[in-house]
Amino acid sequence: MTTTKTKSVLRLLIAGCIAGLVSTAPLANEAVITNSFYPYKTETPGFKGLEPGMVINQNNVAQFKEIIDPAFYGFIEKGWTSITVGETTTFDLHPNYVEATRVALGDVALGDQVGEINGWQAGRPFPQEPDANDPRAGEKLAWNYKYGYNWGDSAAIYPFYWKYRDMDSGKVERTIKFNFHFLNYKGRVIQEPTPEITPNPSDLFRAIYVQVLDPADVRNTQLLIHRAADDLKRDNSWLYLGFQRRVRRLATGQVTDAFLGSDLMIEDFEGYNGRISDMDWTYKGTRYMLMPFYNHNDLTLDSETHSDSDGYQVVSFSGQGGCFPNITWQLRKVHEVESVPVDESHPLSKRVHFMDTQTFTIPRTVSYDRKGSLWKTFTIGQAHPDHHLPKNEGTGVSIDDSFSMIDVQASHCTTGQFKGQVDPEMSPPSMFNVQHLRATGS
Amino acid sequence: MQTTIRGLRFWCCTLAGSASLTLLPAISAVAQDDTRVNGFYENATYGREGVGLSKFRNTLQMELEKKAGNVGMFNNVSVNATLRGTYDGVYDLNEDEYGRDAGGPILLQDIASGYVAHGNGVGSPASAIPLPPGNTFGFDTTQNPNEGMIVLGERLHDQANGVAFGVPVQPCDVDSRGCIDDYLDKDMNELRFQEFNDRADFIRELYVDFDLNFDSGNILSTRLGKQQVIWGRTDLFRVLDVINPVDFSRNNIYDELEDIRIPMWILKTDYRMGPTRVSEGLIFDDLNFQVVWNFDQFRPHDIGQCGQPNVILDAGCFFRGMNNLWENGGTVANFAGATPDGGLATDFGPGQIGIRKAHMPDWSLSNTQLGLKMEGVYGDVGFSLNALTYRSQLPSLRGGIPAENAFTGQTDVWPGLIAFDIHFPRVNLVGGSVDYYSQPIDTVFRVETAYTSGEEFANTLRERLYSESDVLRYVIGADKNISIPLLNETQSFLFSGQLFGQHILDHEREQRTYGEAGIPDWEHNWTATLLIKGFYMNGRLSPQIITAHDFRAQATAIAPSVDWLVNNNFRLTLGANFKVGDGAREFDDCRSCNPWHPFTQTPGVAGHQSGESAGLSGYEPLGRFQSGPIGMAQKEDEIQLTARYSF
Repeated sequence: MTTTKTKSVLRLLIAGCIAGLVSTAPLANEAVITNSFYPYKTETPGFKGLEPGMVINQNNVAQFKEIIDPAFYGFIEKGWTSITVGETTTFDLHPNYVEATRVALGDVALGDQVGEINGWQAGRPFPQEPDANDPRAGEKLAWNYKYGYNWGDSAAIYPFYWKYRDMDSGKVERTIKFNFHFLNYKGRVIQEPTPEITPNPSDLFRAIYVQVLDPADVRNTQLLIHRAADDLKRDNSWLYLGFQRRVRRLATGQVTDAFLGSDLMIEDFEGYNGRISDMDWTYKGTRYMLMPFYNHNDLTLDSETHSDSDGYQVVSFSGQGGCFPNITWQLRKVHEVESVPVDESHPLSKRVHFMDTQTFTIPRTVSYDRKGSLWKTFTIGQAHPDHHLPKNEGTGVSIDDSFSMIDVQASHCTTGQFKGQVDPEMSPPSMFNVQHLRATGS
Repeated sequence: MQTTIRGLRFWCCTLAGSASLTLLPAISAVAQDDTRVNGFYENATYGREGVGLSKFRNTLQMELEKKAGNVGMFNNVSVNATLRGTYDGVYDLNEDEYGRDAGGPILLQDIASGYVAHGNGVGSPASAIPLPPGNTFGFDTTQNPNEGMIVLGERLHDQANGVAFGVPVQPCDVDSRGCIDDYLDKDMNELRFQEFNDRADFIRELYVDFDLNFDSGNILSTRLGKQQVIWGRTDLFRVLDVINPVDFSRNNIYDELEDIRIPMWILKTDYRMGPTRVSEGLIFDDLNFQVVWNFDQFRPHDIGQCGQPNVILDAGCFFRGMNNLWENGGTVANFAGATPDGGLATDFGPGQIGIRKAHMPDWSLSNTQLGLKMEGVYGDVGFSLNALTYRSQLPSLRGGIPAENAFTGQTDVWPGLIAFDIHFPRVNLVGGSVDYYSQPIDTVFRVETAYTSGEEFANTLRERLYSESDVLRYVIGADKNISIPLLNETQSFLFSGQLFGQHILDHEREQRTYGEAGIPDWEHNWTATLLIKGFYMNGRLSPQIITAHDFRAQATAIAPSVDWLVNNNFRLTLGANFKVGDGAREFDDCRSCNPWHPFTQTPGVAGHQSGESAGLSGYEPLGRFQSGPIGMAQKEDEIQLTARYSF
């Protein structure tokens, strides 16, 4: 059973009474903000028998079935991996993002059809606690994810290692080294200009630029994705192929394709990378669960994959096939949201997302094939920015720091090792133009 | 001119030294982020039906990059070099077909005696056909012996009562007959080691990049050096992608253009403006202006020298045979007194018919090439507008050179005489391209078009046997990913189709006594391509099939292949290239052009005027323009295995 520890009931009661004397509404709003962004301010989640520092493995996992998602529970039960429990810590998002949410609180509403939203400028669109009786509660949470603080206004994963692994033999079949860059055109809260980069003729919400550094056969492949603010519109994407030296516009409808042969669909990126309108969203409930949140600098890291002058090392992997990150997990407040593809030909019957309520990242996703059988599970390790690279300190970004996508049917996985850098200098707007692909190509 | 070893060494040493010095810091700092050294070794072994080994090419390529960051007023400074050396062992391993022992004695068709040996046609001592006094028919067979030759086009067709003559096929240092100075004159080592030549092609690329950042946020990006500049949005076809010439001798039209473009010394400057408001309501998502100045000395396409495995359109064989006729004289099948039933094999003397020389443009400012491009993105549409003034990289044969009348010995310019010089005319191009993603059908459409003026075409209606024409070319392409769960549940297949159209706007064609005369190329023609590509084993196994169909030639190429990435470093590709459909086609061969009137009047043609073709046709030499590159390669089916180790 999940429990919470009251820090100061008296303090809350006093604060409530005083506030009530002044004004009820602002206080209620502030409570919404606090509940949404600082869920561990007044209470720390706990679970019977769970202690920071302990290891949950094949021998004791049954005791913690309630707080582990079923797919990962199965992995531990088989002895493929274990969970090292860390202390629950707060991952405060940047105050400007919180303030933007506060300013717009109550002004944002869903449109008539899925994929439409009105009144959003910046911040978390629906910070209120989801209502199980609201048929569109799941959709609101999806919007919270889409307009989440995510990588902040801009950031780079520089570099980013993907390893394709045979889960039975542990053999690394392929290693691809990327640079990823992200830039928000809208909803900007920190980096100038705010809240929007102009001119923005195509009304973009976000852009992603990817460059492949290694191996040689795909070196200098570049991908540029322009995501429109209008969720009903598909992405515009361009691919520069190093061996062709030509920019090709991509058909972006097939977001269910494996990306560069990995176990990730393009739609899987960051937890979900499609349109809100491509799914039917259902809110399934909120509970405390073990989630992959940790301090990067406290881990035992991989000393072989990456090295550079600042001494940064990436997260190491072990377990069955080397498919599991060597990280720690925290007990955190999680929304369970189910997304069912609108398109009947979609290869998935559904995804179950476990959204972290504080950061609105999606650290765990479990996917089911058309027959309803477990197919893939996705883990995105979240690192605290203050215990990562010095430049990330104080950015208020929950740093995507490691990932593992396991195809349980093919017994194969793709792992990701990040050097996430929240640094606007590394992702200038000029990088997100088609001409940049040509200029960078050689 | 034959390349001398001394000249080769000079260039190799000088340029390798320059490149090495430039990149020395790079090589000594391989591990640093700002320095990159990559390379690969590749073996490509191809087997061709009826020939055996057609390629045993071993390639070592090194790619070097040194990023220098900001240097003075310049930003993002970097130096790049790509060095490539190949050895094609086919000239040693299959020397009967492509090396020093290639070719042999030949027979040429003759209406009187069936076939005669080269050197035994009309005008030779072996011929009993009487000729007028003062004639200069015949040639010195010690200068042009019947050895080391093939009959023009023999691999594709028989002589069929048409024009045929011998073509020397051995490397030019073994047999210099028909080797055209500065154009098609490769010796054995230049065939074996393709990149080690006068133009130092082993330095495939060597350039410096630098930016100038303006306060407005705009960027002036410049690349200076030996490089490839790619225009356009289509695959396989070169509608706008015409700045660099292409080496078709490597694998005809089938290699990636990246590998067969011939890099040139070029200055390329882009003014990158990014999202730009031009006026109220007109805002581009991206806008860019480019200037390209190709200041290198002109180079044509490498169309392949006769005796190489890949000779596109077999044109290199026609040229070599024709140059041999001009230099040494030779026997031409079915020529004298020819009718559709054939003619007498005829021995022409030197300087009477053939190709005299190639006019290779010297370096001068006026011979450099200049291009302008405006490119951008507007909403969901990507576009470019292009303009280029350049020299045709394909040869034009211009008649009207002084030649000897074999009947009289008089030297003059004769209308309709098949005696040519090769020129590379100035061509002006304007064009543009568009791409668009259609969301409802999830398909990308690409359109690319070019309008050129100044191109020259063979034309048997003209006295000099060529004429200029404006040409409209375009490609319409569509790309779509289609999921076929039955074949692959996790990844869709790429379907990419293209339709290439070519329209010769000043096309001329007339019906004459024995057939059509004029421009042999089709006035309107289309070629369609379709690529289907799939991915398995996490993208490490990729089967694909490429098909191309030339509608007017009725010729089709089918190229299936499977690409297997064994690991990060080792790749195997097993492929094939098959052709089906029609091969050789007939067109007016100008035997009936009556240049030496009245001696060359064609039997059965009433009132045959001087220099006027009667339309007598054969496979050679002009039918090749109707067959196209696919039709002319109908007998070149291949199995291909390529192994590449990258490091």
